[in-house]
Amino acid sequence: MKNTILLLFLSINLTAYSQNYNYGKISKEDFSISANSEDDAMILYKNRKTNFDYNSDDGWFVETEIHQRIKINTKNGLDWGTHSHLLLKSDGNEEEEMNVIKGATYNLVGGKVERTKLKGKSIFKENVNDYRNKVSLTFPEVKEGSIIEFQYTIKSPFFNIRDIQVQYSIPVKKMEARVYIPEYFVFSQFQKGYHPSQLKRTVKSRKINIVRRESVTGGAQTEVVKSSLEFEENRYSVSVSDVSALKGEEYVNNINNYRASYVFELAQYKPTNGQLQNFALNWEDVLRTISQSSRFGIELKKTGYFEKDIDALIASISDPKQKALTIYNYVKSKVKWNNYYGKYTSDGVRRAYKDQVGNVSEINLMLTSMLRYAGLNANPVLISTRSNGVPLFPTLDGYNYVVCGIESDNGVVLLDATNKYSTLNILPFRALNWEGRLVRDDGTSSLINLYPKQASQKTVSAMIKLDASGNIEGSQRTIKTNHEAMLYRENYVNADKDNYLEKFENSLDEVEISGFEVKNELDLAKPVMETYNFKSESQSDIIADKMYVTPLFFLVEKENPLKMEARDFPVDFGFPYIDKYRINITLPQGYEIESVPESAAFTLPDNIGSFKYVISKNSNGVQVLMDLAINQAIISAEYYDTLKEFYKQAISKQAEQIVLKKI
Amino acid sequence: MNLKNIVSIFLLLTCLNVVSQSNSLAVTEIPEELKKNANAVVRSYDVVVDLSSTNKMIVNTKRIVTILNKEGNINIDAHEYYDNNSKIKDLKAIIYDRFGKEIKKIRKNDFKDVSAVDGQTLYSDSRVKYLDYTPISYPYTVEYTSETVNGTTGYLPRYMPINSYFLSVEKSSYRLNYAPDLNIRIQEKNTDNIGLIREDSSGEFLYKSNNIFAIKPESHSASFVNIIPKVLFASNEFYYEGVQAKAENWNELGKWIYQDLLKDVSDLPESTINQVKKLVENERDDIAKARKIYQFVQDKTRYISVQVGIGGWKPFRASEVDRLGYGDCKGLTNYTMALLRAVGIEANYALVHSGKAQQNFDADFAIMQGNHVILNMPLENEENVWLECTSQKLPFGFIGSFTDNRNVLVVSPEGGEIKRTKKYNIDENIQVINGEYNIDSNGNIKVEATIVSEGIEYDDKYYLESLEKRDLERHYKDRWDYINNISLDKMDILNDKEQITFKENISFNASNYLSIVKDKMLLNVNVLSRNTYVPDRYRNRKLPLNIRRGFKNIDELEISIPNDYKVESIPSNKTIDTKFGTYKMSLEKSDETTLIYKREFILNDGDFPKEDYADFRTFYRNVSKSDNAKLILVKK
Repeated sequence: MKNTILLLFLSINLTAYSQNYNYGKISKEDFSISANSEDDAMILYKNRKTNFDYNSDDGWFVETEIHQRIKINTKNGLDWGTHSHLLLKSDGNEEEEMNVIKGATYNLVGGKVERTKLKGKSIFKENVNDYRNKVSLTFPEVKEGSIIEFQYTIKSPFFNIRDIQVQYSIPVKKMEARVYIPEYFVFSQFQKGYHPSQLKRTVKSRKINIVRRESVTGGAQTEVVKSSLEFEENRYSVSVSDVSALKGEEYVNNINNYRASYVFELAQYKPTNGQLQNFALNWEDVLRTISQSSRFGIELKKTGYFEKDIDALIASISDPKQKALTIYNYVKSKVKWNNYYGKYTSDGVRRAYKDQVGNVSEINLMLTSMLRYAGLNANPVLISTRSNGVPLFPTLDGYNYVVCGIESDNGVVLLDATNKYSTLNILPFRALNWEGRLVRDDGTSSLINLYPKQASQKTVSAMIKLDASGNIEGSQRTIKTNHEAMLYRENYVNADKDNYLEKFENSLDEVEISGFEVKNELDLAKPVMETYNFKSESQSDIIADKMYVTPLFFLVEKENPLKMEARDFPVDFGFPYIDKYRINITLPQGYEIESVPESAAFTLPDNIGSFKYVISKNSNGVQVLMDLAINQAIISAEYYDTLKEFYKQAISKQAEQIVLKKI
Repeated sequence: MNLKNIVSIFLLLTCLNVVSQSNSLAVTEIPEELKKNANAVVRSYDVVVDLSSTNKMIVNTKRIVTILNKEGNINIDAHEYYDNNSKIKDLKAIIYDRFGKEIKKIRKNDFKDVSAVDGQTLYSDSRVKYLDYTPISYPYTVEYTSETVNGTTGYLPRYMPINSYFLSVEKSSYRLNYAPDLNIRIQEKNTDNIGLIREDSSGEFLYKSNNIFAIKPESHSASFVNIIPKVLFASNEFYYEGVQAKAENWNELGKWIYQDLLKDVSDLPESTINQVKKLVENERDDIAKARKIYQFVQDKTRYISVQVGIGGWKPFRASEVDRLGYGDCKGLTNYTMALLRAVGIEANYALVHSGKAQQNFDADFAIMQGNHVILNMPLENEENVWLECTSQKLPFGFIGSFTDNRNVLVVSPEGGEIKRTKKYNIDENIQVINGEYNIDSNGNIKVEATIVSEGIEYDDKYYLESLEKRDLERHYKDRWDYINNISLDKMDILNDKEQITFKENISFNASNYLSIVKDKMLLNVNVLSRNTYVPDRYRNRKLPLNIRRGFKNIDELEISIPNDYKVESIPSNKTIDTKFGTYKMSLEKSDETTLIYKREFILNDGDFPKEDYADFRTFYRNVSKSDNAKLILVKK
C-alpha cells in the first residue's frame, strides 16, 4: 500500500513536469519552450497515425489522423499560421477527403492561456486542378508567440502512405508517428536523409467486423449480412525529439533529398480472395511493374504507326550510327515536348506521333522503339529528374522521367528527344541527376551514371590591342562544346537577335560589340562558335606615368561562385567543365612593360580540378593562357573549403595586373 | 493584394467582319514592319460588347494572333475568367500552321479549368479557363473565339489592342452597343500615335486601329501600364453583383462605395472599442493616438489574401477581423479605420494601384479600379498620413515605393475624392555611410562602418531586420559583390521605427582586396558604395526617360594605410553636375598614414525627353568611373 502511494505520487510528480500532448491541453509551460532566436517557428508536437480500414461500400481505404502544434516565434513565422494540405484526386470520381477538422490558436495573455477556436469560415477548400484539391486552415489571432494546434483526418481511397517527415525547415520538438498496415498490403520502407531514429515494427492481429446488405434472391428485398475479417497487421512506429531544421543552400539540387523522412511505397497487394498484385519490393519488381505497364512496356512494342515513315527515312542508310542519328533528329523535329514529365505515356505514343506533341515518355519511348525497329540495341533508361530527388530506393515514384540508351561495345549512348539542342550523351540539365536504370526487354537492367564523364569545354581566344589612352579594341572567338553548347543554344536560338545582342552587350562592363556572329547554332554535330569585335574605354587605369591592366579584361568572371563560409551538402555543377583562355595583347607604342604577373598552376586534391595561368612576353606584347577545369559534376561537401579556396586563388590570379611604364 | 477581376477586364472579344479565308492567315501576309521587335502579331482583334441593360452584358471576342517564336507563347492570351456572376457561353480555338492551314481545333471542354489565384492567395471564388497549347512549330496562328455573359457592369471591357511588350497589331476593333437609357463615358489614353478611328452612331461606339508597332521595354522609362494606348468605357448606371448603382464622377462613385461596400461593415464589439479607448486615453494628439492604434493592429493581425464577397470589393466586417485576427487588404484597412473612428480620429478608405509603377487614378474619369487599399488620415494644415494596414513590420505612416506618389481614390461618407499619396523626395531618400578602413601590408582590408538609411532607402532595406544570420551574411556579400573574400565580423541592425531610420553597424575584413604589383599596392578607394551600374545602352532609344525616385547618398570614410607604405599617387577630386543629378568625390591626406574620403551622389527624379537618355547614361558612366578611382601605395 505504501508503495502504491509512493508510485502514484511519483507519477503525478512526473507528469507535472512533462508535457501534456492531448488535444487542447496547452499549458503556460508550452509557451516557454525555448527556441533558437533564428527559427521563425517550431513544431512543438506532431502526432500522426495512419491506418487501413474496410467497409462494404468503399472496400479498403487509408485513414490518417494528424495532430500538430506549432509555436510561432517571429513575424516571418506568421506564415505558419496558415496550414494548407493538398488532397489527391483521380481521373475517376475518387478523391481524398479531409474530415473532423478542429483547431485553435493559443495566446499567453497576462499569464493566462487564451484560446481562440478555428471556425468553419476559416477553412477553405479549393479545387486546384484535375488532380488536386487544397484545404487551407487559417488560424485566428495568430501573433508572435502564439501556439496553433490542429487535428484532422484524411480518408484516402488510394493505397498511398505519405512520407513520415522527420525534418522540416523549422525545428521539431517532438514527433510521433504510427503506420498500421494489414498483411494484404506490402509496403517497401526506406529512410531518406539522415536521422538516428529507428522505425520500429511489431506484428499484431486484428479483426474487422463487416456489415453488408445483400439482395435476397429474386426480389428487391435486402438482408443484412455480417461477417468479419481477421488478419495480421504490421505496425510501424517512430518517435523523435529535438530535430534541428534543415534549410536549402545554393548549388544543392533538391533540399528534400537531404531532409530526413521515412518513405513508404506500395509493393504488393494480396486481396483475400483475388489475384496477387505486385508493385515494387526491390528493383526487379519496380522494373517489372513499369515494364509491364500498359503505358510503358506495351507502348514500347507498338511499331505500326511509324513503320512506313521510318522505312523511308533510313532506306538508304546502312551505318548504324548514322541510322540512329537520323531517327533521333527525326523525332526531335517531328514531335514537340509539351513540358510534362513522366515515365508513363499519357495519350499514348500513337496519338503523340499523330498530333506531333507528347510528354517525355511518349517521345522517348517512341524514339526507343524506332531505334529498335531500325536494328539498334536501344532500351529505355528510367531517370529521376533533379527536381524529383535521388532514387536511392526501389520505388515506383522514384523515377519520373525516361530517356533512351543505345548499348554497344563502346558503352551506352544516352538520347533525349525532348530537347531540341540535346545530342548524343548530352542530356538536358533536368535529367543530370545521379544514376538512371536501363531496362532491357529480357528483364535485366543496369545502372547508368547520368553525370557526363566528358567535360564541357569553353575556349575563348582573343586578340586585343591596347592603345596609349588605355582603350582597347579587338576580336574574340568563343567555342563551346557539349552541355555548354546546349545551354548556349537554348538561350540563343529562339531569342530575337537584336534583343539578344543588346542584352549581351549590356551585361558586359562598358564594352561595345560589333560584327556579332554565331556559327553552328543549329548544327549540333559541331561546337557552337561565337565571334565578335569589341571596343572599350574603361578597361585600364592610367595613374601618373603608368598604366595598369588586367590581361583578361572583361572576358572572365570576377566573382567567386562559392560565397558561404561553410557547407553541409555536395556542390552539384551538373556537368564537369573546362574553361580555356588564349589572349594575345598588343601593347601601345610609347609604353614598355614594367612588370607582369607570375605564371601559376595549382590543383584540387583527387584530381577534382586544376588551374593554370601562363603569361609570356613576346615581341610586341603579352600572351596569356589560362585553363580552369572542374573534372567532376558533383563534389562532396568535405571538399568545400578547398574548392572555395581554389576559386579564390584563381580569381585573385586573374585580377593581377600588368604594369606598363611610359618610355 | 489583388482585388480580383480587375485584370480580367480586358475580356477579349469578338467580331463581325473578320475575313475568314484561311490563306489570309499565312505568315507571309504579315507586313515586315509589324514583325520588328515582335514575338507575336495580332492579326485581328475584335471585341463586341452588348450592354442591353445595367445587369446584362454580353461580350464577344475574336482574336487571331500569330506567334512568331517561343517567347510569343504568352501572347496566345486565350482565357476567360468566370465566377458566380459571369458565365462563359462559348469558347473555342483553332490553330493554323504557317501557311494558314488549319491543324487543330480546341473546344470549350479542352480548355484547362483552374482556380484563378496566384500562389499567395489562399482562396478565391474566381476561376479561369485557358488554352494550354504546345506548338509543334513556329510560327503558328491561334484563332480564339469566346462569348461571356456578365451580370455585373461596374466595369466594362476596355479597348486595349496591345497588352504586352513585343506585340504588334495588324487590325483591331472595339464596338460597344448600349441601351438608350444608359449614359456612357469614354476616355482615350496614349492614343496619339496609333491612328485611332472613332465612329459613333445611335446606341453604338466603334473604335478601330490598325498597324500598331510593337513596343520594346527600355530601362528608366515610364511603366508599361502608363504608356500603352487604351480606351476606357464606363456606364453611369451599372449593376454591381445584384446591386443597382449610379455614378458619373469620383464623388458619386465614392458615395456608392461608401454606402454599398463600407457603411455596414464597420461594426466593432464594445469590448474592443473600450480597449482602444483605454489604450489612447493618455495621448493628446491624433498622431500619437493613431500610432498606438496602428501598433495595436500590427500586433493583433496578419495579412491573408482571400478573395470572396462582392466582386472581391467588399471588406470583411471589422468585428470579424477583430475576432479572427487576420484579413486581406480591404478587411485590415477597414478594421483600422473603424478603430481610429472609435477614438474620434477621421480616417478614410483609399483605393490604389499598388506596385512600384506609380499607376494613377485619372482625376477626370471615374471608374472602378485599383488592386489594393490603404488608409488616409487627413490632418488639418498638415500633410496627410497614409497607412499601409497589411504589414506587420512597416513603421507608422510609412508606405514606401509600394503606394507612393500617385493619385488614389479616397472614400469618405461625403463621397470620393482623388488625392495624391506621399512623395518621397530626394532629401528624404538618404543613405549616409560613416566609417573607417585599415589596410595592412599584405593588401588585406578591415572595414568598420555605420550605414543609415531613410525614406525609399529605408524601404529597400528594412526587410534585412528579419533575415536569418546566414541570409544576412549572403546579402552583404551580394551588396558588395565586387569585393571577393569578405568575412563578416559584425552585422548589427537597428530599425528605429519611430524615426523611420535604418542603421547598420558593419565590420568585415577582406583578404587580397588590394592588388599588389611588385612594391606597389593599388587601392580601389570606394569600398562601400561603389556604383557598378550603368543603364543599358540602346542604339535607338524610343521611350522618354523617366526617373521615378531620386536619392542622396553621402559617404565619409577615414582610410589608414600601413606604416611601411606611403601614398604615391592620389586620384584627383571630381565634381559632376548634370540635370539628372550631381556627384562629388574628394580624397584628402590628413597625415602620413591617414586619408579622408568623401563622396556625395544625388539623383534627381523627373521626366526627360528620350534624347536625354544618352547623357543620363554618360552621367552614370562617369560616376562609375570615378567610383573606380585607384590610389597607389608604394613601399617605403
